Amino acid sequence: MTDVTLAIALPLLGAFLLPVTARRGLQWLGALLGPTVLALSALVLFANASVYEAPYAIALGGFAPPLGITFYVDPLALLFALTVPLVTLLLWPGDDGDAGIRRQSLTLLLAAALTGLALSGDLFNLYVFYELAAVASYGLAAGSGSSPGFVAAFRYLLISALGSVFGLMGIALIYFQTGTLNLAHLATLSEQLANPQGLAAFAMLVIGFGVKAELFPVNGWVPEVYGAASKRVAALLAGLASKLAVLAIVRILLLVFPHEEARQLLLVLGILGVITGELAAYQARDITRMLGWSSVGQLGVVFIAFSLPGKAGLIAGVTVAMHHLVVKSALFLLADRWGGAIARLKGAASSSRLGAAMFVLFSLSLLGLPPLPGFWSKFLVLGGLADAGSTLQLAAMAIILAGTVLEGAYLMRVITTLYKSPDARAMPQRQHPGNLFASTVFAAVLLAAAAMVNPLWQGLNSMADSGVDTKGYIETVLKTAGWRP
Amino acid sequence: MTTSIGFIFFIGAIGLGAIGIAGIVLSNHLFRLVLALAIAEAGANLLLILAGYRWDAVAPIVSDPAVVQTMVDPVPQAMVLTAIVIGVGVQALALTLVIRIRQRYGTLDMQEARQRMQDDLDAAAGITPSRSREQPAGGRPLPAPTAAVEAGGPHD
Repeated sequence: MTDVTLAIALPLLGAFLLPVTARRGLQWLGALLGPTVLALSALVLFANASVYEAPYAIALGGFAPPLGITFYVDPLALLFALTVPLVTLLLWPGDDGDAGIRRQSLTLLLAAALTGLALSGDLFNLYVFYELAAVASYGLAAGSGSSPGFVAAFRYLLISALGSVFGLMGIALIYFQTGTLNLAHLATLSEQLANPQGLAAFAMLVIGFGVKAELFPVNGWVPEVYGAASKRVAALLAGLASKLAVLAIVRILLLVFPHEEARQLLLVLGILGVITGELAAYQARDITRMLGWSSVGQLGVVFIAFSLPGKAGLIAGVTVAMHHLVVKSALFLLADRWGGAIARLKGAASSSRLGAAMFVLFSLSLLGLPPLPGFWSKFLVLGGLADAGSTLQLAAMAIILAGTVLEGAYLMRVITTLYKSPDARAMPQRQHPGNLFASTVFAAVLLAAAAMVNPLWQGLNSMADSGVDTKGYIETVLKTAGWRP
Repeated sequence: MTTSIGFIFFIGAIGLGAIGIAGIVLSNHLFRLVLALAIAEAGANLLLILAGYRWDAVAPIVSDPAVVQTMVDPVPQAMVLTAIVIGVGVQALALTLVIRIRQRYGTLDMQEARQRMQDDLDAAAGITPSRSREQPAGGRPLPAPTAAVEAGGPHD
């Protein structure tokens, strides 16, 4: 079995080697370095696929838990960790001089931090990886070098840093009450946190980690950053980074706060996210900000799904999150082809048939047309909500359905504009003909998932089995022997 | 007595956090926003230090393993060290962004910088701005200017 920490160490090493290679005039090495490192880290994670039988934990540096930091590798963590190098590879930024090197270096840093976020089993370690990912994404947001990019990045930094202050206070509150920050150890003490202080700590952690996950009160940065940054960066942040932040929150929820109140908090925040996100997306007049707001709405659905108790919630949440990862990244890439105001997309379909066809495919999946995976993800969420059946959950059902109607309205508006007869004056000013490759891969993944619903369901089921197995988590981690001299 | 000192420190930590958060929400000057962030982080760090602090204990440094003394909990101190380093890095990055905004837009006012950012984003997307200070959206409640005013006659 290959050491899973390599999946974090390799991109981190690559991130710091890249600028050196550029300065030494080894551009060819630099161009190879990033993709190679990401492919290697994907291979390392593939080599750990045996966790489907037996999850395992690693004590970092040889310090035994609960004092030392642990990494926990189970199917859930592996699935999310594996998406990081694969999606980053697809969204790899082009090599255009000095700015390109900086962007590649930051992308590798982001990949390392996000992988760490998936694997870490220690609250403070999660915070550190989260901050690392945040700093890398500030750099990426400002990296376009445009004036709006700097203002957007500054606002993003301010909101995210404020979230981090809340997160740190939440960590302090938890340490006050329990004296530990190891998630497995905290899971054994979760009764001590079933009180108002515990709930306050959870709320603070959710606000802290929720900034990247585009959670309701702390998502004001979303349209500005996605509008100002390059669309690859937007796809990386909306598709990938938000999912790993969600995973961190879900781990904390499952292990440390298995209380009804904590779930209700997520449910309410998710509902508010759906309402605000979909309404703002309906109002938006350019395609990037429309997609940004609609991603806020969909992450609201993700939070609603994860607020469902037990296995059903985990399966529904993972399905919605993964579907959103594929679809929203691809939509951002397609939007990059056209860019700009929706009104100016008139007739864009005639100049790029494949691009427009894929836009239709992804939109339909997002809406939930039956054979496509989007249908199954929405079906699982709505079914889970109907089964749980409290008033709030039924309200959430109604709001998700209403949100879908709004989604249909604004996505169809774009599609009808795309297929209108071309208007020479209204054509978008820039077109990138060459970058359909990544979106085609995403489309292939989507269609493959639609064809293989049964095996995927089996895989998700066994993943959720080990994901909700708190007892197994505690035993695996606390039995991990440290290195003894 | 020690408990009352501890209480004062707690109030101080929460107060610093509250001042910082209020500063971020209320101020409009870019540099003040960064300063407010620094204050809020100091509050969070102090809270974390207090989580493991004992008034009757020594610093957690073992110089002689034979002598056993009561020590303060070293874990929060290590964490705060990390948090301070992260905080300094983020604040430095924030200041570089402030410098860049000042260079590009010539302003340190958050509202104005945001307005110009929105205008630039709209222009890049090819949308005519939905509203501006010169042309507010919606109907005009005031009657149209009379001929006398338009001719430049006295109107006050």
